[in-house]
Amino acid sequence: MAVDKQKALLFGAAAAVRLLLFTAFPSLPNLLTGRVEISTPVTSFKRLQEGVFLYTHNVSPYDGGVFHQAPLLLPLFSLLPNPASHPFATNLLYTIVDLLGANALMQIAETGQSVSSRLFTSSRKDLRWSTIAVGASFLFNPFTVATCIARPTSALTNFFLLTSIAKAAQGASVTCILALSFASYLSLHPILLFPPLLLLCYDVRVTKSKRSLNPLAFSLSHIFGLVIALALLLYLSTLLTGSWEFLAATYGVRLLLPDLTPNVGLWWYFFIEMFDSFREFFLGVFWLHMASYVGGLSFRLRRQPLFVVSSLLGIFAIFQPYPSIADSALYLALVPLYRHIFPLMRYSFLAASTLFYTSFLGPAFYYLWIYAGSGNANFFYAITLVWSLGLSVIVGDSLYAALRDEWEVERPEMHGKEIRRI
Amino acid sequence: MLSSLIFLLSLIFVTCTQADSDYHERLLLRPLPQSALLASFNFRSNESSASFEHRNFRYFPRSLGQTLQHAHTKELHLRFSLGRWDAESWGARPWDGTREGGTGVELWAWVDASSDEEAFARWLTLTNALSGLFCASLNFIDSTKTIRPVISFRPEGHHTNSSLLNLHLLHGTLPHEVVCTENLTPFLKLLPCKGKAGISSLLDGHKLFDASWQTMSIDVRPVCGDGSECVLEMEQTVDMVLDIERSKRPRDNPIPRPVPTEELSCDTSKPYNSEDSCYPLDKDAEPSWSLAEVFGRPLKGACPLTDASGYESETVCINVPTEREVQVNTSGTYAEERHEDGLLRCYKLPTGVDFDLILPEQVPTANLALEEPPLYAARSINGHGQERGSVQAVITNPSTTSAIQFVYLESLPWFMKPYLHTLRASISTSPSSNPIEETYYRPAVDRHRGTHLELLLSIPPASTITLTYDFEKAILRYTEYPPDANRGFDVAPAVIRLLPSNSSPNTKNVYLRTTSLLLPLPTPDFSMPYNVIILTSTVMALGFGHIFNLLVRRFVGVDEVENWNTGGLKGMLKSRIERLRARFLGKGKKDE
Repeated sequence: MAVDKQKALLFGAAAAVRLLLFTAFPSLPNLLTGRVEISTPVTSFKRLQEGVFLYTHNVSPYDGGVFHQAPLLLPLFSLLPNPASHPFATNLLYTIVDLLGANALMQIAETGQSVSSRLFTSSRKDLRWSTIAVGASFLFNPFTVATCIARPTSALTNFFLLTSIAKAAQGASVTCILALSFASYLSLHPILLFPPLLLLCYDVRVTKSKRSLNPLAFSLSHIFGLVIALALLLYLSTLLTGSWEFLAATYGVRLLLPDLTPNVGLWWYFFIEMFDSFREFFLGVFWLHMASYVGGLSFRLRRQPLFVVSSLLGIFAIFQPYPSIADSALYLALVPLYRHIFPLMRYSFLAASTLFYTSFLGPAFYYLWIYAGSGNANFFYAITLVWSLGLSVIVGDSLYAALRDEWEVERPEMHGKEIRRI
Repeated sequence: MLSSLIFLLSLIFVTCTQADSDYHERLLLRPLPQSALLASFNFRSNESSASFEHRNFRYFPRSLGQTLQHAHTKELHLRFSLGRWDAESWGARPWDGTREGGTGVELWAWVDASSDEEAFARWLTLTNALSGLFCASLNFIDSTKTIRPVISFRPEGHHTNSSLLNLHLLHGTLPHEVVCTENLTPFLKLLPCKGKAGISSLLDGHKLFDASWQTMSIDVRPVCGDGSECVLEMEQTVDMVLDIERSKRPRDNPIPRPVPTEELSCDTSKPYNSEDSCYPLDKDAEPSWSLAEVFGRPLKGACPLTDASGYESETVCINVPTEREVQVNTSGTYAEERHEDGLLRCYKLPTGVDFDLILPEQVPTANLALEEPPLYAARSINGHGQERGSVQAVITNPSTTSAIQFVYLESLPWFMKPYLHTLRASISTSPSSNPIEETYYRPAVDRHRGTHLELLLSIPPASTITLTYDFEKAILRYTEYPPDANRGFDVAPAVIRLLPSNSSPNTKNVYLRTTSLLLPLPTPDFSMPYNVIILTSTVMALGFGHIFNLLVRRFVGVDEVENWNTGGLKGMLKSRIERLRARFLGKGKKDE
């Protein structure tokens, strides 16, 4: 009961902070919605408002170059009152989404899959943070709070992803597949998380049922379920918009990058300066690069599928076409689950300082470029490079720590000794 | 007998054909306040539709006629404009704004086609052909600059109802286009007298493009009189507002020089008035000017193709008060007629000899009443920074009695993304009512189509409408910026069409256009394509390489691989040093 009371207190405090920021600073949501670090052309709330306006006035929102978000969001947000005049309903929706995401995260922490899965148990498994601490680190992370206040639709994607991981860690296949299909429907890249989530679900189900499941039948049934769920969502979207043109406007934009608005990622400046004849080649290379991590990580870390999922989320936060701090907030939410390998990480101070440094310099250099006119695009571009480097240091370092932890189960005498990689 | 009959028949035939194709030209001069002069040149050529279809061109230029036939264009309106019409000083626009275009080049045409795609293909044929004919970059009017207005333009010609079904209206605009002499020369070549006689001999690129405001327009439309057969009429108009003082500067010496001190008229009531400081007095007298001075070249008599007598033969008209002295300087015979209670003096020019009108300096007793414009409109960009902004249009109805219903058309480039949910229109006199009655909106698609926004608004008397909407600026690809990227991009002017009121439904349409906008966009660093590619690739390679190494390599303890692999330069040097040491120290040991 004490845990429930603490949980209620935590959720109450988080909701209070968010609602306080929404109501005490009425211009803050629109200010944050306009920031490129939080809102991207495929997740921005202002563009969602434009899409809902066109949808309610019988103009196809996908016939234009402004709205690039999933069609099923349109009836959902047209039910809510107009955010310009009555913002409370929208604010409440996003606060609830954050709290539900934190709830899912705490469910993941409770299952203990991060320290002991079916095939692997860490030798340091007693070094864990409580589920309350994990939930608090997500809810009070400034990136998460800023994402909630700015109301981009990546907050909804985060919620669906956390739910999907939580259900996979609990062995609930149907909900996992459904949540993953919603997340992939909203933003294209979560579909790449399907293999490690499948492995996680399989491990948990086998542990729970204490008998072996046929892996082939398991995978086929889950693939079939995912395909059916996605097809249903796409079919509903077609019914809603009347044609298939939304595909080019939503997923085509993520694949082909026609909108080059600056964000915290690596893609935009690269494709601004790219000559036209190489554009398709490099788009293919970038997407292939991002997708290539799935196979390698899943194969090598077969015994820790939850770690694969969290590393992939970190990799997506760096190498996605339109990343924002919402994606890094999601990754940083899963990192505290691996408290037991923090002593093995070598560059944690460097990475943390880098993230801190770029979080402040990024907006400053953006202001210098766009508003003051005294800096140019290279300043902001350099900060995005440093941000990506900082995140990739965390991803790489935690991968090293997890691999070493795995190896030390076989070679316990190597605790604390220097090692090399050959 | 037979020969005389044939002669008579041929005479009748010639007079009949003579009546079908005729040519009219007129120059209207109107001095405006603050020593400005409005000069409006109008040239009209008619060709019967029958002879047009049989490709018999007389006064209608063959080059333009063949272009129109090839592109299946039934009605064409082409405008080249520069400058800004100052409605507060100069009053209502000439021709009610129907012969005016937005800054740069504006083209709209009714194209005969069976489908939208065919109409667009014929439109591209038309723009490319006109681009070659007028030496203007009209070939840049592609799908990103073309819109299909719904209620902003009505055909000026007479088309049968069946042909109207197949006619597609397409409108293209190039606000960045600079209009200059190379566009004037082909324009003059389309005239029958080709700028060598008649009023067209006054047109000179140096003076025309130095004007405060100028428009060159070409309108081709079918006109069907009652009962008689249809005629294809081509109307060419050049309107300009010249500053008299600036135009009187000689062509070879255009630098403005200060007036010598003796000729300055100083305000002697000022305390500091002395021989070295002077407060210049506003000249209350109207300046003296003459046609040859202001236009830089003499008017070389009449174009012989105009009518010999009647109203149409008076080719130069000047709109001045009755007291204004106008002297005629010519060696040939001319005729002067006064119309409109003496306010309009028209002259029939002599052929073959120069003609000049001289107006000496005179203090005016009564000023010519200028017609008040029915609507004032101004448009600007608000906001700062290169990320977003908002457009604000302020439209004022000066009339105290009549409300006006008008159409507001905007054609925006694709990299300016308006947010229609932020469109607000407010009336100054009744803040709670919404003046927007209808909205036609086609959103832009990146790199394919621009924004098309048409609003039907009504403004009550003596009030002001303020129309605002937010937009976001896109950042373009490296190759899409012009060489002067930091100047910005031009946005086409808004077109406002005043609808005829219900009380007088047969009045002509009145048009007015706002100025164009300059839109600065965020620019990347143009010196850095290679650097950006290698830096980003480095970051990606660092991430990928680190993770790849971790996944592929296995761990071993440090002490376990001491003797196995100390590879690399260090290992090689170490082994060399060991061997040398073994040789020398070993030898030394042996010696000892």
